[in-house]
This record gives sequence, C-alpha cells and structure tokens, in this order.
Amino acid sequence: MEDYVIEMLHITKEFPGIIANDDITLQLKRGEIHALLGENGAGKSTLMSVLFGLYTPEKGVIKKDGKEVKINNPNDATDLGIGMVHQHFMLVDIFTVLDNIILGAEPNKFGFLTKDEARKKVMALSEKYNLKVDPDALIEDITVGMQQRVEILKMLYRDNDILIFDEPTAVLTPQEIDELMKIMKELAKEGKSILFITHKLNEIMEVADRCSILRKGKYIGTVDVANTTKEELSSMMVGRDVKFAVDKDEAKPKEDVLKVENVCVKSKLHNKDAVHNVSFNVRAGEIVCIAGIDGNGQTEFVGGLTGLEDISSGKIYLDGDDITNKSIRYKNTHGMSHIPEDRHKHGLVLDYTLEENMILQRYFEPEFSNHGIIKKDAMREYSDRLSEAFDVRSGEGAKTVVRSMSGGNQQKAIVAREMDREHKLLIAVQPTRGLDVGAIEYIHEEIVKQRDSGAAVLLVSLELDEVMNLSDRILVMYEGEIVGEVNPKTTTLQKLGLYMSGAKRDTGKEA
Amino acid sequence: MKKILSLLMVMALAVTMLAGCGSSSASSDASGDASYKIAMITDSGDITDMSFNQTTYEASKAFAETNGLDFQYYKPTEDSDEARIASFNNAVADGYNVVVVPGYLFGNMIIAVADDNPDVTIIALDVSEGDLGDYTLPENVACFTYQEEIAGYMAGFAAVKEGYTQLGFLGGMAVPAVIRYGYGFVQGCNDAAVAMGIADQVNVNYVYGGQFYGDDAITAVMDTWYANGTQVVFACGGGIWTSAGDAAVKVDGAKVIGVDVDQSGTIAAKYDRDDLCVTSAMKGLAATVDATLQDLIDGNWSKYAGQVENLGLVSGDDPSLNYVQLPTETWSMTNFTVDDYNTLVSDIFSGNVTISNDTENMPATDITVETFDNIH
Amino acid sequence: MNEKTSFSKRPGVQTLLVSVLCAAFGVFLGFIILLLMNPAHAVEGMGAILRNFFKYDNNITTLMYYFGSAIVKSVPIILCSEAILFAFKAGLFNIGVAGQYTVGIIASLYTSVALGWHWFFCVLAAIAAGAIWGFFSGFLKANFNVNEVIAGIMLNWISLYLCNIILGQETVMNVSKSETYDIAEKNASGLLPGFLQGVFGNNQYMTIAIPITIIVAVVILFVLNKTTFGYELKATGHNKEAARYAGMNPKRNVIFTLMISGAIAGLAASMIYLTGIEHYKISSSVPGMGFNGIAVAFLGGLNPIGAILAGFFVEYLTLGGQYLNTNYYNPQVADLMVAIIIYLCGFVLFFKHLFSQIGKNKAVKKEVQE
Repeated sequence: MEDYVIEMLHITKEFPGIIANDDITLQLKRGEIHALLGENGAGKSTLMSVLFGLYTPEKGVIKKDGKEVKINNPNDATDLGIGMVHQHFMLVDIFTVLDNIILGAEPNKFGFLTKDEARKKVMALSEKYNLKVDPDALIEDITVGMQQRVEILKMLYRDNDILIFDEPTAVLTPQEIDELMKIMKELAKEGKSILFITHKLNEIMEVADRCSILRKGKYIGTVDVANTTKEELSSMMVGRDVKFAVDKDEAKPKEDVLKVENVCVKSKLHNKDAVHNVSFNVRAGEIVCIAGIDGNGQTEFVGGLTGLEDISSGKIYLDGDDITNKSIRYKNTHGMSHIPEDRHKHGLVLDYTLEENMILQRYFEPEFSNHGIIKKDAMREYSDRLSEAFDVRSGEGAKTVVRSMSGGNQQKAIVAREMDREHKLLIAVQPTRGLDVGAIEYIHEEIVKQRDSGAAVLLVSLELDEVMNLSDRILVMYEGEIVGEVNPKTTTLQKLGLYMSGAKRDTGKEA
Repeated sequence: MKKILSLLMVMALAVTMLAGCGSSSASSDASGDASYKIAMITDSGDITDMSFNQTTYEASKAFAETNGLDFQYYKPTEDSDEARIASFNNAVADGYNVVVVPGYLFGNMIIAVADDNPDVTIIALDVSEGDLGDYTLPENVACFTYQEEIAGYMAGFAAVKEGYTQLGFLGGMAVPAVIRYGYGFVQGCNDAAVAMGIADQVNVNYVYGGQFYGDDAITAVMDTWYANGTQVVFACGGGIWTSAGDAAVKVDGAKVIGVDVDQSGTIAAKYDRDDLCVTSAMKGLAATVDATLQDLIDGNWSKYAGQVENLGLVSGDDPSLNYVQLPTETWSMTNFTVDDYNTLVSDIFSGNVTISNDTENMPATDITVETFDNIH
Repeated sequence: MNEKTSFSKRPGVQTLLVSVLCAAFGVFLGFIILLLMNPAHAVEGMGAILRNFFKYDNNITTLMYYFGSAIVKSVPIILCSEAILFAFKAGLFNIGVAGQYTVGIIASLYTSVALGWHWFFCVLAAIAAGAIWGFFSGFLKANFNVNEVIAGIMLNWISLYLCNIILGQETVMNVSKSETYDIAEKNASGLLPGFLQGVFGNNQYMTIAIPITIIVAVVILFVLNKTTFGYELKATGHNKEAARYAGMNPKRNVIFTLMISGAIAGLAASMIYLTGIEHYKISSSVPGMGFNGIAVAFLGGLNPIGAILAGFFVEYLTLGGQYLNTNYYNPQVADLMVAIIIYLCGFVLFFKHLFSQIGKNKAVKKEVQE
C-alpha cells in the first residue's frame, strides 16, 4: 500500500448553478511534490478550500495518514499540519519578518513574548532550508521573493509538514522562480509533502513528481511527470491540443504611431529616476516589447506613458500629436488603449457589473449616454456583443458583478474592452499574467490580429516565452533605461538574459 | 428650607384632616382628592439635575404621595416648545389634570394649551409676565416668579461679611432669573464691602457659562479663577455648579455657593468635603409647589387663578417663611452668623435695604466687578 | 434555477430584510431592557413606545397632528443620511455632515430672522452654506490628501463656534430666552409654506419640507443609478485608481461629491429650522443629527428610499419614549433602544452576509434534492 499523507476521496462540492468539484480524488504521497493543474475555474481553489475547512463538501471523505478526518474550519487544518502559501501574501507590512513569522503563534512565558527562542528557531529553519531572510527587516522593505520565503518560513515555524503553494510563481521574477524551485525540492527531500497549484507547465516539468489534472470541476487523471510531456499535460488540462508557438507572419510596419523622446519618471522610492532618458518608437503594424526583470522601471514607464504617473521630462507623441501633458481621458479618446498590469487595481471596478466595466472609458460617449443619463440598453447590448466576441464567461451575463468572475474571464473582459475601443496604439502590460494556457493562446492570437489590422502594439512582459514568441522587436529595460534592442528571430534567451541582468549594453546606450 | 417644608406639611395635614372631619357630608375630601392627578413636565434638564427640576419633581411627588394622588413626570423629547406641548397633551391624554411646570421655557406652552384645556390646572414656576408676552392668563393657570435678587444679595452680603474678598459669579444662561441672582449677588457684595470699608479690596469676577450644566471649558475658566486668587464662586444655574466644584476641590480653601436649594448636602456628597459649600441662595420652589397644590385641593385655587405672583419676603421676623432665603439649618459661616442673617432679612423686609431687580444693567458698585465673555 | 430564486436573493430585497431584522432585533433588545428594569410593566411599556402617537386614537385630529410632528422631525435626519450615503457611494465618509448641517442652521436662521429674507432664499443660502463647507473638506482632500474624516471633524467644531457667535448676536438670539427668535414673529415670509396641514390636524409645522425630502431622495436615487455622474462617483468610490485609469477626474469628483453632500446637509437644516419647530440655542457640541444620519443611512441599506423609512422609524422610536410611564421607566429607555438599533446598524453588513449564506445553503440543498 502506498504511503499517502493526505487523501481527498471522491469530493463533490456544488454551488448554485455549478458543480465546482465533481467526484475528485487527490492523493498526496509523503515527501513528494504533487502538482495540481487546471485552468482558471477548473475547481482547484474550491478543492483547496475544502481541504482547509472553508467549504463542507456534499460528498467525499478526507483522510490523513489513512485515517478519516473531519475538517470544519482552518484551525482543524492547521492542527493536522497543513499550511498554505497564498498567492496574495498574508503579511503585515509594517511588522518585521520575525514578527510576521511568529504572528498568531507567539512564543510566550507567562504572557510575555520570548522572541529570542523564536529567533533561534527561525534562523535554524532558514539555515536548514536555505531560505535567506533578514529577520529584522520590515515586510514593506523586502522584495516579493523574500516575502514569499517569509510565508514559507511561517509554515515551517508552525511545524507544518503538508505544504500547499497556491500559484507561487505568479508574482516572481525568473531568478526568484528558480530559487523557489530549489527550495521546494529541498523541502521535499526533508520529508515535507508539497501540493503545488499552478498552470505553468514548465514549472511542473521541472519540480513535480506527479501531477493531478482538473478540468471544469472534473478529475481528469494523475500522471507521473517523468513519463509525460508538456503537450500531454496541456491537452489534458484544456481538453484539446494547444499550440505553444504563436503563428504570425512577418510584420509589415508602416508609419510611426508612438514616439517617445527622452522620457524620465521620478522614483517614489529613491532620489534617482525610475525611468531615465527612454526614447523609442512603435510603428503601425508591429509589436514592440519591453522586456526586463520586474522592478526595472517598466511600471513607472507605462504609468508615465498612459498618464497614471507624472513624467519629469521628455516628450510623447501619439500619431504626431504631442500628448505629453494631455489628460488620461484625452489619451483614451485619441487612440490609446491600455491593458493594465494590475487588473484589480486599475483595470476593473470589481464591484461594478460586467456591463458597467465594459464602458469604463466610454460611458460619456453619445453611444452610451444621452444628456448625462446612461443608456442602459445600449450598455447591455454592447457588453453582450463583446462577451460573445471574446468569449467572456460569467455566471449571470452582463449583470454579473465582476468580483465574482474568475481571473481569466476578468482579464478577457479587459482585453475585449481595450481591443474593441477605437485605437491606434495598444499598450498591453503583462496581458496574460495569471492566465492558463488556453487563455494565453487566445490573447496572443488577438494581439497578433491587432497588429495585422494595423495597430501599433507595445507589449510589456516579464515572461520570456511571451516576449520571444510575440514580439517583432525587443527593447530591454534595465534600471530605468533601455539598454539594448534585439531581434527575437536572431537572438537567444541567453543573450537577452545578459541585457536584462545589466551585463551587456548596446553601443550608444552606455550609461 | 426643611423648616418650610415640614411646616407646610404639618399645615397641609392639619388642613386636610380638618377638611375631612368638617365636611364629610359634602365628601369633598375623598372624591375631591381623587379627582386630582398631578403631572410634572421637565424643562431642558432632567429630574436628576440636583436643582430646579429635581426640586419641583420631588416636591410634587411628595405632595402626591402624601395625599394619595396619582403622579407622573414627563420628559419632553427635546428642548422645544413643540415637544413641551406634546408632553402636556400626553399628560392630559393620560388623565392628568394638574400640571406643574418649572422654568421660563414653559411660557409658550402655556400660551398654546391653557385656553384649550380649561379643566387642566397649570402651576408654572419661574414663568414671568415677560415670558408670556401680552397673553392674559386664564383662570386655570398660576405663575410664580421669585425675587432672586434678594437671595443673591443675601449670599453676596454674607460671603463678604464672612471675610471673602475675591469672589466670582458663574451663571448658567443669561436668562432673567439668573441675571437677578447675579446682579443681586454683586449688590450684596458691594454693600457689605462698603459697610466694612474694604470696597477697594473686594473683586468680583462675573461670567455666564451659556448653558445649565458644567463641562470642561467652564471648569477650565473656573480653574483659572481659583488659581488667580478667587476664593468663592456663586455657581448659579442648573448643574453648572459641578464645574465650579470640580475646580474648587483642586485649590486649598476654594469654596462655592449653591443656588435654588440648599446644595450643601449635594456638594458635600459629590466631593466628599463638607466644607466646600459656604451657603446657598435659595428660592422656595418646593414651598410654592406644596402650598399651591394644597390650596388647590382645598378649593382655594381662586387666589392664584390667572395670577403671576412675584414671591419674595413675607416675613421680617421669621426668615424661614420667606420664599427667598439662606439655609440656616446647615449654616457653616462663623463671622457672619445666623443672627446677622436675621438682621439682614428684617432690614430688607422693612425696606432699610433696597435691592434693584433691574436685569438690563450691571449695578453700579464701589467694588471692582470684572465681566467676562460668555463661555459658550 | 437562477430565475426562480431571484426574488429572495435580489440584493435590494436582502438589504430590506436585513434592515427590518436589525430594527426588530433592536426593539427586541429594548424589550429585554424593559424587562430587566421592571418586568411587571414591560409589555405595557413596549406597547406604549410602539403605539406611540396612536395613543390619541380617540381624537383623530390630535393623532394626525402628532403623526405630522413625527414626519416633520424625521426630515432632517433623513436628509442628513441622504447626504452621508451620497458621499459614501463615492467612497467618502463625510462625517462633516454635522458641521455642514450646522452652517445650514446659521444660514437659514440668520437670513430669515436677522435679514428677513423670503424662505426660498433662506433655503438657497442654507444649501450654499452647506456646499461651501463641503467644498472645504473636498478641497483639502483633493489637493492635499487630507482625510475627509479629519477635515470634517475639525470643520464641525469650527462650524459650531461660528454658529454660536453668529446666532448669538442680538439680532437673531432672544437673549432673555437664550434661543433664537421665532421666525413667525420676526419674519413670517421666512417660514416654509405649509403642506397638507389640514390633513395633519392643523400641524403648523407640516411644510413643503416633506415633499422636498422625498424629491431629494428620488433625485439621489436617479443620479446614482441612471446618470454618468453617478456612474463616475460610484466608480471612484469603489476603485479610485480604476477611475483614474478610465480618465475620470477623481479630484474634481471628490470636491463635487462633498459639495453636494454638504448642500444636502445644509438643506436638511433649513428644512427643520424654517418650519419654526426648533430654535437654536447656544450649544457646546455639534447637533447629533449628522452622526445619527450615519446610522440611519446604514439602517436604510445605503438606499435613498431606505433612508426615508429608516429615518422615520428611528424618529418614531425616539418620540415613542415620551409615552413610557415614568413611574416605571426612565423615558431615556427609548433613546437607549435607538442607540442599540444604531449600534446594530453596524451589523447590517454582517447580517446581510449571514443571510446570503443561508440563502446559498438552501439553494444548494434544493438543487441536490432536484
């Protein structure tokens, strides 16, 4: 008999109108890294919520070490040694690393904190698993990667031996991902059992021992990663074959649409410029990509370009029109579409319905309003048309509150809106962030279609696959400057990596 | 105070007993008494204000209990004529036919309801002609005002004679009754100082709090006064005495003077100091309530009907019969004795001492009076 | 499935049920308090509060009169809660409504009593005063990122002292009574025109304030739900960054919103003070109206029409207290009950969540059975 540490057998969980988990079985062996793969909305989160006692399943049992257990709330799960690193970290920004780790499990003697012991334990764990953290740094001052290590230490500190990672790489840079993979392997070697929720096939291939696949609430199967391929996994996940390469013809660039001259943006963190002297152009009918490691000024640059942040100097021209100091509304209505980096922060009003979000930049146009009164019918029709065209799925159609939609459909709604708006320039920042391969494929195709129909596309992405596949020209940004331009057809990932890490600069772009 | 009360009680008892014995055939006693139901309506304060409302409430209630009559008090939902009228109608709807109301605020209520409710007797304390405009009181209403200036005068006179030279007056709102107390107090201080030849040494600080309850802002002003040498403050207006008291306990030797009723017990209880209250400038609210109600049930209402009576001194020989007085039962002053007080009362009664009841202008004095801006 | 269960799951219906639940629970707790204070008369006491002015059922004129009074008195609290919920929809917690209400008092009483203006202009003055006061908070928030709660609280105090100074002048304040003069006495044209006074037992305080309040609520409902302006405000309220991304002007909207909110608060003051039912007295604290309005707004489910019902309910209970027999109960028990209900308003969202959970589970069970 196999040594299963956790077994979830024949779990069924229903919600009104939808069966989120339909007879799902998941068995986690001791000391393995087990990937849980599925598209957005496949039921991964529901299954984990069942494991954590947040939902009570209608059918099915959960066993720990072969014995049936009842998990009625998260405390039960914690008592069983189950810990989770959430996609969005649960950390107190203004506390130190150490305080965050011991928070909720503070060691004390007679009610007095005994931090020294805690510090020793944390440092020992940090040493053992090679999780480098500065225990006295404030959370708000450390990188995302380090925050994630703090989350992991939190679980280890509580002596959890079943560790769940919920899409842990979504927020990490390539280097940080590599490091995380190492840490996970290390943890498994030490006997921890890891459940790894993801839809990134590369990562599964790299670290996982086995992989269970869910699709539309149903259990598809469990495979040994050693005996499978990316293609097989993806077709199991999506239910059809998926292309990884993007089909596209040679670009036929025409006139300049976007022209950026010596743009600088001040940093909010330090006295130097976050974006320094950036100049380039994007022509109609081409996809230009700004590549780079996260935090090298891409966000600030896009902010300056779109008007969300002030630029300190430089000029921006859109189709020959100087838009440097124009309002966001002016840019919106004069040919700039923008798929923002953070769909929750900028892209959507989560508490608005789908239809209300669809007209977010256009509600005042005569098409949607009459003397300041919104034309509800026009809004409804427009939303339905876009949802249909871009396959945006939602529970209650146009009047679904966007907060209740899956991340992928939220992103699709934004993509639909931005692509449908009249534009000459499409700025797409991380357009496939957090999406599954099916949705990624779709969005990539749409972006290429935009190019082919004559729009200029500025893509900002951290995903090297995406950068290499999609773009016609690549600009690499490092510490706020464009340090090089490469042709994706003639360059290699290694060469790109040198630019991204600041080891190489094009002539004429020296500091 | 207690003397008046007990005296009246005895009188009341005697009268009822006499009436009961004398006219059993007419049965005016049993049925007559039972037909009276007494209600009291509070003004902007509550029945726990240790002052005006409380006194009226307690007196009315005690009378009702003694005579076996129904009694209830009503508290308007807010400080407005409309709410007071609503309380009155509410009381009438509950079957009450005698309504006792304390305070000038009830003027408009009386105008609004008196004519429409001829069967309801209204006894209004501290409501003057000025509060009624050109309204002619109907038979079912009696109003009483007091010569507060006399009580204030006596308190001021006594305090200076006792040896205090730095005094203060803390009024509530600048309404006529409070002004009369205050100006009377200033006159009393002045006359005593002149008599003692120390007019150049006596100072009076004079201020209105702008409300009938104490708060931090008022306490702060009192703190300043006491810190700058004020020895005693005449706290005059509802619950505002708490601000004077709070400030006084912080300074050695600082004292207060109470108002309306003998507040020495109240003040002593609150601060656990029985030397804090020098004296109190009293007006006979309870006595008025008692006597009027008694006359009413005895069938002697006609002497009050439609009248506004201005109550003051009624006896030069027995100060305890007067409607304005100082408390002799709890007398604590040593330099100014009860005998001195009796002399003062008879002087005022006889007209040897005249006290102005003008509320327009601060009385002219030889002592220094420093007037402060209203605190609120 | 979705269609069939939609009625009880509709957010509006849920909000209504939750508010009613809150109110009922508050009344129930009030009853418990009565029981604890004096068990023998609790039923009678509760009956008196709930029966309220229906006590005068033998005299229909008096009954209608006090019904009218209850309506008149609920006007300012309803309007204050409208002001609060309007700002709240735009993500602003306008605690400055109290101050905006106070400057509304200054404007309406000063213009009517001291300047002898016609009521229409007095009302306009009150609206303008409230709007200016709201503008201050909005301006500070938009340009210097001063939290509107902090600015609001400080402006509340400033308004209070301004009010005491301006209305304390002898042209407005009847010094011998320590309250402002009767408007009727000084300037009859300053009083609001009557409204259905005959129906309400000749209640002279029944004025056009009542229809105006209803119109204001309907207009707010319309603006919030049907107009581009409402769309912008709510978007800004839900997600300021997304509003900026969409090209809206959050700064302008913040100022606009607080000005409108302030204008409604100013209107609220004029709608009660210009009936003559209340006089201003020198006070050491801002009128509680602005704060109670917060609770009423929540009790009304942040719905402009809900606020009307909630405001009237709260006023009804408040007025009910005077009918308690004071020999058994302190009349402030009613205030305590209102306080409890207001406290429970904080739980409206909690109840709502609970309610939707119950709804969900039922729906699931039903589905399973099917």
